[in-house]
Amino acid sequence: MTAYDVIVIGGGPAGLAAAVSAYGEGAKVLLIEREAKLGGILKQCVHDGFGLIEFKEKLTGPEYAGRFIEQAAATGVETRLLTFVTKIEKIADGFVISLVDRSGVSSVAAKSIVLATGCRERTARQVFIGGTRPAGIFTAGTTQHFVNLRGKMPVKKCVILGSGDIGLIMARRLSLEGATVEGVYEVKSTPSGLTRNIHQCLYDFNIPLHLSTTVTRCFGNDRLTAVEVAAVDEKMRPIKGTERIIECDALILSVGLIPENELAESIDVALDNRTRGPICDQNCMTSVPGVFSAGNALHVHDLVDYVSDCSRIAGKSAARFAKTQSKPERKLTQAAFDKNFLYVVPQTVDLNSDLSAVSVYFRSGYDMKARFVVRVNGKEVFSKRYSVLKPPEMEKVVLNLAEALKDGGKPEFALEDVTKLG
Amino acid sequence: MKNKDIKKIIKDVCQVSPDIKTELKDGCVVLSGELDDWQTIYEAGAAAASKRYLGVINNVRLKGKSDGIPVPDFFDEAAEGLKPDVLVIGGGIVGAACARELKKYNLDVLLTEKSYDVATGASGRNDGCVHVGIDLHKGQQKLIYNGRGNAMYDGLCKDLDVALEKKGHMILFKSNAEGRFFSALMKLRAKQNGIPGVKYLPREEALKIETGLPSWCSGVLYMPIGGIVSPYKLTVALAENAAQNGAKILLNTTVLGMKTENGKIVSVKTNRGTIYPKVVINAAGIYADKIAEFADDRTFTIHPRKGTNLILDKKRFDYAVTSITKSPFTKLKNNLGGAESMLASATSKSHTKGGGIVRTIDGNVLVGPNAREIFEREDYATDNADIDEIINKQKATAEKLTRGDVITYFSGTRAATYEEDFVVRKGIRTKNIIETAGIQSPGITAAPAIAEDAAKWAAEMLKAGKNPSFDGIRRGVPHLAQMDAMERDALIKKNPDYGIIVCRCEEISKGEILDALRSPLPAAGTVDGIKRRVRPGMGRCQGGFCMPLVVKIIADELGIPEAEVTKAGRGSLLLYGDKNAEGVN
Repeated sequence: MTAYDVIVIGGGPAGLAAAVSAYGEGAKVLLIEREAKLGGILKQCVHDGFGLIEFKEKLTGPEYAGRFIEQAAATGVETRLLTFVTKIEKIADGFVISLVDRSGVSSVAAKSIVLATGCRERTARQVFIGGTRPAGIFTAGTTQHFVNLRGKMPVKKCVILGSGDIGLIMARRLSLEGATVEGVYEVKSTPSGLTRNIHQCLYDFNIPLHLSTTVTRCFGNDRLTAVEVAAVDEKMRPIKGTERIIECDALILSVGLIPENELAESIDVALDNRTRGPICDQNCMTSVPGVFSAGNALHVHDLVDYVSDCSRIAGKSAARFAKTQSKPERKLTQAAFDKNFLYVVPQTVDLNSDLSAVSVYFRSGYDMKARFVVRVNGKEVFSKRYSVLKPPEMEKVVLNLAEALKDGGKPEFALEDVTKLG
Repeated sequence: MKNKDIKKIIKDVCQVSPDIKTELKDGCVVLSGELDDWQTIYEAGAAAASKRYLGVINNVRLKGKSDGIPVPDFFDEAAEGLKPDVLVIGGGIVGAACARELKKYNLDVLLTEKSYDVATGASGRNDGCVHVGIDLHKGQQKLIYNGRGNAMYDGLCKDLDVALEKKGHMILFKSNAEGRFFSALMKLRAKQNGIPGVKYLPREEALKIETGLPSWCSGVLYMPIGGIVSPYKLTVALAENAAQNGAKILLNTTVLGMKTENGKIVSVKTNRGTIYPKVVINAAGIYADKIAEFADDRTFTIHPRKGTNLILDKKRFDYAVTSITKSPFTKLKNNLGGAESMLASATSKSHTKGGGIVRTIDGNVLVGPNAREIFEREDYATDNADIDEIINKQKATAEKLTRGDVITYFSGTRAATYEEDFVVRKGIRTKNIIETAGIQSPGITAAPAIAEDAAKWAAEMLKAGKNPSFDGIRRGVPHLAQMDAMERDALIKKNPDYGIIVCRCEEISKGEILDALRSPLPAAGTVDGIKRRVRPGMGRCQGGFCMPLVVKIIADELGIPEAEVTKAGRGSLLLYGDKNAEGVN
């Protein structure tokens, strides 16, 4: 059984960045990808807009992934493609990972692991759309796979439910390919996707966005023939009498991403109900020592640039963990955050680890003008004003908490809504 | 069932609706008229049921609606002039089991199924319980066939390489006293019904078998012969083994009518030509009364009773590892009154066992089903109202149940008769037909025994001897994710396609999908057919990742364009070919 310092599971943007940075710390690294090519979901994201922060230029998804694939190739990171992880077992000095590939069943060992397993899409049934289940009901990602990777059109005239970014991108993509997008429907009263995508993908193509409206039912036995849409009340329940039938042959769903953490759960990694990703510390280490989480498996990011950024922390920390003989005991303290946040990552900080550059990622719970405040033991140690915060847009701040936390205590995050204050 | 005479029936039906005419004809109670409300038509039918007569023929029409067998959209000559010894109509579990049993005799067998695959009706839309039969009554065909069928399951599933688990079923009680009292009654019933091993277990004992007991449960009635099976995998296996033994299976074939002469079926008209069988077995499920009508042998009516089941993520380990249901005696907050459902159960007015929580053979948790009388026979649409009803009801048993646990849900229609019993018999007015109708729960359990009788009767009618070359052993597609590492490794070394994982949630390999496509009944190359056989797309992502890959594998294997691969047969196309009119691929 080959032994590595760090094994990274998942060869998308998160896994690539983590593997490269772990290697940069002098670790022996294996990157495992279940598909035939590296790049993850970026392979099918042929639109541009990636890399503005990372590379200061607009790249397509495959180009962005390509840069990292080149970086990885230039290092000594070993890669195994078309390889599927079936099991992770904790052993005294690390982990044993069981693999399946075309050559058979095998195992590899690692001192630390990075879980960069990405997300899956929520489905029509998981948002409780009733009616029949004919052909023609696709998630946005599946549609994107057909159109961009395979050159196949699954749609003539469609309704899109959910204003998440992939849904918006697919509205534009399908329009460009000659399909009719009747409209984008969003159950919430505000869009879920980035403002720039609302403009560039919908308004520029005269595609209407219907807020506080949802799809309630599908019709058709073989192929979809129509959907029913209805306005919803403030509790997102359909309002009787507002139903409208729209004839269409496809329903495209962009109703949320769910971090894939089944492997994490199998080794008892504790998850956060809000992010649905692991609870981690400033080093992206989960509740299980030696297990790190990166990218969208940790929490759903809005931009891939941030995925790369956070995954470098995970990769670097995983390498350091693997290379350190006598590991200092973790002294975890739970961070507190108020109800104006959708979530804050990391959820914990390790007081026995470096606190001089803690990357904090957060989303607000609703649209607001706000002051972001960090307090330790009741004392304000950091604040920043935001003229606008929206749930679809993730924010990142890097904090030096070394001084504030040197005698212990816990960081408390607050979002003061200054809209209300005028 | 009540034992009332025609006068009383006429009075009762009249009370339901004075616009319905009731008469006695050839031993059957025949209702006629036209109404605009299905519930009333159903209630009239139910009021007309009496064990004194052959059955209820409810011909009351629903205004402006037709419930006939849907006419297919294509016609060819694939079946023209076929002269099988036995024609089995319907590819559900009963039809498939009949086809296989018939091949134990020297008989030429043809099975027709109107859908694109077997097990697309009730056989693919139920919870897969191998029932105990504790709720059944003396005099019911259900009781006889359930008992015989249950006893056949171990051997049958072994022969057909279909997974079966007999972990038992449980009825849960809140208070100790009611548990012991009810258990004593049920043990008596079990003795009458010939059910072995039934016993009361206090909570601590029960927890050793079922870790998912709700907190209020003080004890259970444990029935060890209860089991679970995949009802559609078993149906596929039965059909495959029938085909291996020479039965011909024609999918996409709808029976449109029959010609009878002197009390015998002469020919059967389908959309694929006219068939001239010597004997017909009616296993048409939800349309069985229509087929019986064609054959001039109708003594019953099928009224569809819809049920919805929720499928939960496999990760919900805390709910059930066996099959559990709350006792109708146990009254809980927010729940149907105990007394009310107890009465319903005692008078057998309750047509579902109340639903419950079932750990399926594939490890998911099923919650449901509920029961609703509907007009449309194949209305498989789901409603949020049903989902809420099931969650509210079953929260009693799965205390933490929320909508967030649900990965998907499905509906089916039970082929119920007004007598609420099976109709398994030789033809009454027509000599060469065998009816296997009204097969609702416990139909999955009963099917092997029903088929045994039907095949025996057909063989007697045709004076057919045993088929010495019958081979009842069938090997299914290997399920590599369930194997130990050595076994799995050896298989992958023989066939590297077993090492390419296509469905990440259920860990299904390309090799397994190809095996299903190369099986004796290859799912007609449909995405849902493959899903039914080897499960890609059955997991928590519901095919979001693997569906395009499955489409490609099917297209490559069959040598057809991807745009010709369907989800579930004719008309359910997934793709329109290359994305630009000119084609870019």
